[in-house]
Amino acid sequence: MDKNFQEEFTQVIKFKPPLYKQRHQFVKDLVEKYKPKKVADLGCADCSLLRMLKFCSCIEELAGLDICANVMKEKMHTLSPLPADYLQPSERSLTITLHHGSVAHKDPCMLGFDLVTCIELIEHLEEPELKKFPEVVFGFMAPSIVVISTPNSEFNPLLPGVMLYRHPDHKFEWNQAQFQSWALETARCYDYSVEFTGVGHPPTGMERAGFCTQIGVFTRKYPQSGESVLSEKPTEAVYKTVFKAVYPSLKDEKYLQNAVISEVIFTAQIIKHRLTSKHEEYGNDPERKSKFQPSMDCFSDYLGKLVVEKNMEPFVSGNEVYIPLAIIFSFPKVNRLCGTFEKLCKLIAGKVTLSSDGSAVMFSIEGE
Amino acid sequence: MTGRARARGRPPRQGSTLPAVGEAPLQQPQQPQQLQQLHVPPPQLEEPGGHGPLRGFKRVLQERRPEGLQVSSGLQDLSLRDRGGRRRDFHDLGVNTRQAMVHVQESKTGLSGRMVKLTTNHFRLTSRPQWALYQYHVDYSPEMEARRLRSALLFQHEEHIGKTHAFDGSILFLPKKLENKVTELFSRTRNGEDVKITVTMTNELPPTSPTCLQFYNIIFRRLLKMLNLQQIGRNYYNPSDLVSIPNHRLMVWLGFTSSILQYEENVMLCADVSHKVLRGETVLDTMHSLHSQVGEEKFRDACAKELIGLIVLTRYNNRTYRIDDIDWDNNPKGTFRKSDGSEMSFVEYYRKQYNIEISDWMQPVLISQMKRKRGNMQGPVALIPELCSLTGLTDKMRSDFSMMKDLAIHTRLPPEQRQREIGRLLNYIQKDDNVQKELRNWGLSFDYKSVSFTGRVVQGEKIFQSGNMFDYNPQFADWTKEMRGVPLMHAVPVDSWLLIYTRRNYDVANTLLQSLFKVTPSMGIRMSKPNMIEVDDRTEAYLRVLQQRVTPDTNIVFCVLSSSRKDKYDAIKKYLCTDCPIPSQCVLARTLSKPQTIMTIATKIALQMNCKMGGELWSVEIPLKQVMIVGIDCYHDTISGKQSVAGFVASLNQTVTRWFSRCVVQSRGQELVDGIKVCFQTALRTWSKWNKCLPSRIFVYRDGVGDGQLNTLVNYEVPQFLDCLKSVGTDYSPRLTVIVVKKRVAARFFAEIGGGLKNPPPGTVVDTVVTRPEWYDFFIVSQTVKNGCVAPTHYNVIYDTSQLKPDHVQRLTYKLCHMYYNWSGIIRVPAPCQYAHKLAFLVGQSIHREPNLMLSDRLYYL
Repeated sequence: MDKNFQEEFTQVIKFKPPLYKQRHQFVKDLVEKYKPKKVADLGCADCSLLRMLKFCSCIEELAGLDICANVMKEKMHTLSPLPADYLQPSERSLTITLHHGSVAHKDPCMLGFDLVTCIELIEHLEEPELKKFPEVVFGFMAPSIVVISTPNSEFNPLLPGVMLYRHPDHKFEWNQAQFQSWALETARCYDYSVEFTGVGHPPTGMERAGFCTQIGVFTRKYPQSGESVLSEKPTEAVYKTVFKAVYPSLKDEKYLQNAVISEVIFTAQIIKHRLTSKHEEYGNDPERKSKFQPSMDCFSDYLGKLVVEKNMEPFVSGNEVYIPLAIIFSFPKVNRLCGTFEKLCKLIAGKVTLSSDGSAVMFSIEGE
Repeated sequence: MTGRARARGRPPRQGSTLPAVGEAPLQQPQQPQQLQQLHVPPPQLEEPGGHGPLRGFKRVLQERRPEGLQVSSGLQDLSLRDRGGRRRDFHDLGVNTRQAMVHVQESKTGLSGRMVKLTTNHFRLTSRPQWALYQYHVDYSPEMEARRLRSALLFQHEEHIGKTHAFDGSILFLPKKLENKVTELFSRTRNGEDVKITVTMTNELPPTSPTCLQFYNIIFRRLLKMLNLQQIGRNYYNPSDLVSIPNHRLMVWLGFTSSILQYEENVMLCADVSHKVLRGETVLDTMHSLHSQVGEEKFRDACAKELIGLIVLTRYNNRTYRIDDIDWDNNPKGTFRKSDGSEMSFVEYYRKQYNIEISDWMQPVLISQMKRKRGNMQGPVALIPELCSLTGLTDKMRSDFSMMKDLAIHTRLPPEQRQREIGRLLNYIQKDDNVQKELRNWGLSFDYKSVSFTGRVVQGEKIFQSGNMFDYNPQFADWTKEMRGVPLMHAVPVDSWLLIYTRRNYDVANTLLQSLFKVTPSMGIRMSKPNMIEVDDRTEAYLRVLQQRVTPDTNIVFCVLSSSRKDKYDAIKKYLCTDCPIPSQCVLARTLSKPQTIMTIATKIALQMNCKMGGELWSVEIPLKQVMIVGIDCYHDTISGKQSVAGFVASLNQTVTRWFSRCVVQSRGQELVDGIKVCFQTALRTWSKWNKCLPSRIFVYRDGVGDGQLNTLVNYEVPQFLDCLKSVGTDYSPRLTVIVVKKRVAARFFAEIGGGLKNPPPGTVVDTVVTRPEWYDFFIVSQTVKNGCVAPTHYNVIYDTSQLKPDHVQRLTYKLCHMYYNWSGIIRVPAPCQYAHKLAFLVGQSIHREPNLMLSDRLYYL
């Protein structure tokens, strides 16, 4: 009888999408909502959550911590920037760091985070570690939000093949009451509020079992207390950094300069092309409009307006075309990249051929 | 149970990931794509295995699984040779051709020439004495399927097996010998299930065994990953070493190509610099600029022409795809079916999965057909142009002189600089603690200084030209100057010819004519006034003139074209190569427009015209008598991917100055070799017609052999040649030599001259140290380069009954590099290969079917 019952559920309880994905999605939704800049994942294991979070554009610093270096190393290279990240460096900066260490130890590298996630972590902690855990996370790291997820043991009878715990390494699995009382006590102690939720809905008729994974979202009640607290905190590093990837970003002068130079030359070339083809009186087809071509049409309209409004005009002199930097600067993309005209001049100095007074980009039209 | 129900009850095909013993070589035939389902590339998160270091490993090792426990080194060789075509063995390991050639058993090295001190880009791999690699087979009871789980369970026992290991789920490599032949370990799964793991030693591999070589390469790739290099294709690049060329929106990544192989005496790492050209623009950018160039009407055609066949790199994962089609009826708002069956729009997918907002919702969608199954996906993949970066260079870009010049500054490294860059890789390896630790754990290390040895520079050839003989300056390997004013070996008079031009090019055509009249007399070419014909600049106009004015007496047709429009060129060539077989010469008006170069150009044109009509320019001494030399090369249509063309040329006379040619045009899936057999037969017939006997020696120079295809060549093509010879007559048994010519090799040689590294002089032969022991192979540096490093050409004699000494085969090969009439100098490959290449290219690009055999005794394809 009992066995039959279980077998029925073997087929029923299959989460879609799989439960781990639902947990990750939960974190991602939270990130979308609160837009934290610095996120740490404690017990990051094979870094799958980090790999998902690196696409969240609000995050500028991602850190992972795990007690097992090997499991992190297995796939850590997938956190490296991709070729395309170098081709088109993004506006935001992003650094991903992996640390090897225990959540029972304090390390200053974990300070200053906005969100700390502990997904399926606490049930792996031995009693002494679990005791130290709240002090490290809530007392020392003290981020604005902490997310803690852990199995809900009340759900276990519904899962096929679970004898005692869901994983041999689990040191305990709590029911809803146990988790909530621990969470509430911790929150009270460190001045946080906590809300309970979860992922993995129980089947109809079994609602009392609760979510398969129970989640507590802790929010710090007091505002970020600046340096006074920082100075009290120990500064001795105990974690070992196993991986660090700095993503190319336009915040880095090197990449910004590359991007600006490339954009300046590209823009100047288009203007030159327009200018020289105008000389040849061809391609002046008014019928040439299409839905596909909004950006280019905008471009020539825009150029026309500029020439009229600002009385700036590219000109040909001998074998050279001169395109005033002021025109180039007024193009939105260049403008957005540099911000100020002075910055533009500084970035392209020595890298782009300019006229003798430095006010225009100069091209030779020989051999065309 | 009814049959239908049974079929339904079967587990899905992908259910079992591990092939049963003995099943591996039986590849399931590719399922026809009955489901026109589009896939979006899977997010990285879901990838099983992905690009991890074990991927190649798995591939290598699955091959051996059939042998199971009884694997012995002898059997392994066999299995390597029997591998299927799909998995390619890029280094042609296990193809042992030398053992069948008795005369080179003892030595395959030549003796002639003067010695030259060389270094190369090879580095010795060293292992500690008595080093061995231990191979184990790992069994699970109860059977575990997931590879990850198998690994996790096994690695719970690191105290037994050690921290250093390589494991593909079934075969385990360790640097140490476990105490017992069979080790039993016990683990518990997360479900609390007890698992017995049996680790059985199956092999103790000596450092030079083929398995070990594959293992070294896997470990080396691991090291490159540890150095944070990014893999693109087969090579590794350093993303922080980026050179941007803003003038052309290009970026160049510096990287390395590397392989570890068993060479003559040592296992060595061959490392070379590799450059990856990436483009700073997306496919959408390219579409925009195409649109502004060609306008709405021709826009779609232009896109298809420019983009199809290109390789793109997706922005959100490190994957490359080939664009096979453009779906203009689709756009990012369109939906696709995800692997779980639900529908989703592209916009939504990229937003959800990667936080990428697609800005242009009107763009079409790119389609890529995947050749191989990736994960659980099959069939076409849809890509968004905005999210795809272009890689590599298009033919159009290659023909952009200024772009190539700007690129060359970064990619053409002179010898010293190239060696320095390679040294940098070795330095990275030497300096990185983790890498050193990994190497130490395996008991391996490298010689960080490249290998040096002596090569030989063979004597330069004397050039004969109608009774005259001259030497060329060996430093330049060119005799353009020496040829000046010397009559050609055999000049064909131009009595009746057409000169076709458009009105705009009347002046140009006239200038050309005057120049031709000036340069031809000293060459000994008699040239009459042509039939000057003015045409409209339309393809039909050209064709009409050809139809009306070409007579059977016409020697040659000369067209001055006003633009490099391919369709016009193709139409002219097609008509004059098939329907109306007359040699033709097309020249761009622009080429003739510069007064300062017109005489040089007219000279070259006159030479080329003469060859196309059956003339001969010069010769070198060929000491062998009754010899026929064959050249074969292939052209693969990369754009439509439908056609392949094999060009086949064979010498016709003693001086090797006249060539017979045929080609094989075949659609995908056909075997090239059948067509080549027919060519070979006609070549023999024609040779005997010309010489009143059959050749007693035949040399085949076979180009166009891809990495990993050597086996096919040895086992299928060579027997076909032999069959062909047998079919001529029972008493006919000429001496046959088949040589595989390879231009794309990673080996580079540097001559140590005056304390610095220079390019080795033309005629440098290398047949020791860096050649392969199982082959009768050698390198020749025949050409010179103005900048950068000269690339040696690799020659692999795979069949040889000539009884000639290696010296003579090498010399003959080098002589043939002098015989290409479109270049008055030494070229990279023997002339027959270059002729075959030209022929295949012309047919593949322009004509698309076999040209008229009336032309087959002339070099009309030059």
